[in-house]
Amino acid sequence: MDHPLVRSVGVTETLTRTSSSGTESWERFEELYRSCRDDVYAYVCTLLRDPAAAEDITALAFERAYRRRRTFDRRRGEERAWLFGIARNAALDELRRRQRTATLATDPEDMAEVQEGDGAEVALRRTAVQTALSKLPAREREIIALKFHAGMSNAELARVLGVSESNAGTLLYRTMEKLRKACNASA
Amino acid sequence: MRVLDQDPIDPEIVATLDAIDATLAGESVDAQYAELAEIALLLASDRPQTPSEFVRSMDERVERRFAPRPTAGPPRRNRSLLWQSMGALVAGVALIVAIVVATGGAHLSGGSSASSSSASLPLSGAAVPRAAASSAAASSSETSTTAAAASSAGTYGSLTAPIVQPPTTGRKVVQSAQLNLTAAPNRIDAVAQEVYDVVGEVNGIVTSSSITQGGPTGSANFQLSIPSASLGPAMTRLSSLSYAQIVSSTNNSQDITNQYNATTAALADARALRTSLLKQLANAVTTEQVDSLTAQIHDAEASISSDLATLGKLNQQVNFSQLQVTINARAVPTPVAHKSGGFGIGRAAHDAGRVLTVTAGGALITIAALIPVGLLVALAWWVGAAIRRRRREHALDSV
Repeated sequence: MDHPLVRSVGVTETLTRTSSSGTESWERFEELYRSCRDDVYAYVCTLLRDPAAAEDITALAFERAYRRRRTFDRRRGEERAWLFGIARNAALDELRRRQRTATLATDPEDMAEVQEGDGAEVALRRTAVQTALSKLPAREREIIALKFHAGMSNAELARVLGVSESNAGTLLYRTMEKLRKACNASA
Repeated sequence: MRVLDQDPIDPEIVATLDAIDATLAGESVDAQYAELAEIALLLASDRPQTPSEFVRSMDERVERRFAPRPTAGPPRRNRSLLWQSMGALVAGVALIVAIVVATGGAHLSGGSSASSSSASLPLSGAAVPRAAASSAAASSSETSTTAAAASSAGTYGSLTAPIVQPPTTGRKVVQSAQLNLTAAPNRIDAVAQEVYDVVGEVNGIVTSSSITQGGPTGSANFQLSIPSASLGPAMTRLSSLSYAQIVSSTNNSQDITNQYNATTAALADARALRTSLLKQLANAVTTEQVDSLTAQIHDAEASISSDLATLGKLNQQVNFSQLQVTINARAVPTPVAHKSGGFGIGRAAHDAGRVLTVTAGGALITIAALIPVGLLVALAWWVGAAIRRRRREHALDSV
């Protein structure tokens, strides 16, 4: 896997900085889209465990963000956290809708894949991690998705979840410990 | 989301989080965190990849700035439109309610005296029959009821004179009433004619009348004699004349049953005495007896005549009620006099001030009506948002 392990950069400017025309606002949105598109998709896909639904929700989140870009308040946080808040709401709405229809589009087991180039031991370990992750509750799976798939810092994670940074760190720590114990148990 | 209260954070947790961050940044970590670092790397490397087809599709949509496509959009759009429609509907209803409340408030402020006066009339009228009944039971008593209406312009339309009549079964009751009306100065004659018409309809008598008209003032006074049985209908008609409004009305009643009975008894006694005297006169022998009896008979007849006159007068009072109607010209607001006579700065400033005052009053009433409506809408929005947020968080717990 060649995915860079660094979080997205270049999104610190606000969408609603005072501008004389909508062009600047559009350019900032486009920049946000370029830098966050893959992160949002990865987060939503991990949360929903459904790539097709993740595409819809990602598209919906960006469209909503575009429509509401003028309502973004810089004082309430970074635009990246704001965007993920929109995506989170859309994903949770999708989860609610699924509960009403009581269907799951994709079997969680299908998400476990062995990547090419892995040695046998690494492949085994990866499978154990994937299995443990799939068994986590949605709330903890969301924390993993925000941290490792969306590349968020603990502060951003806290803003998206609506908790303090220390609480977010504690939640992440507990989730990682749970994941580690599950991996060891399966090994 | 569950909120934990662990501030400051445990040092061990801080060290673990730092190790995770260092691992993700490609830095080396202490050996005790090697296992956690491995898991972190595996998790990060398992990040779902965005499908290239979806990337192309999204790029196109973003390039189009999410312009609507002919194909159906995401399912949530329909729901969003539904919410927007409901929001517009709620806003419209709130606006209508505000306008209705504002209009109602303005009406109340302008016509409050009319409402209170209308309410007071039946109340005062209802209190009277009990008083009249008690007076009827007494030997002879008087009852007087007065209903006054507000004198401000525009408050008369819904007012009618309370027609209060004591129970007259087997009793001799004298009734009278006074009615005060107002009319436009140029309508005094018309109202007077209406009064004559009403008197004619109930077979009443205009005992006296006085009508004065001319200029901004004018008045009319009528002393009417109305058959007691028609007093109620006459008052009703007079209180709803075309060009007059009622200001006040007074009803008086006096029970004269005892006086009437006493006079009747005296009359009977006088007649019996005369009959007796006539018999004695027939048997009289001497001149002195005849003269004496003749004088007594004259006295008895005089007494009979007096009693008959009294009875006739009492019957007249009982059968015909006295009604006094007064009509006064309504005060007409005089226009503000301007020295220049035509349109000038002063008049313009006065008019502008009036317009601003009325506008400010209207705006104040509207704001007063909109504030509670706005608070209700804000409360409903806040409750809705809280419920929506709670349901979303619940969705995470139930998966």
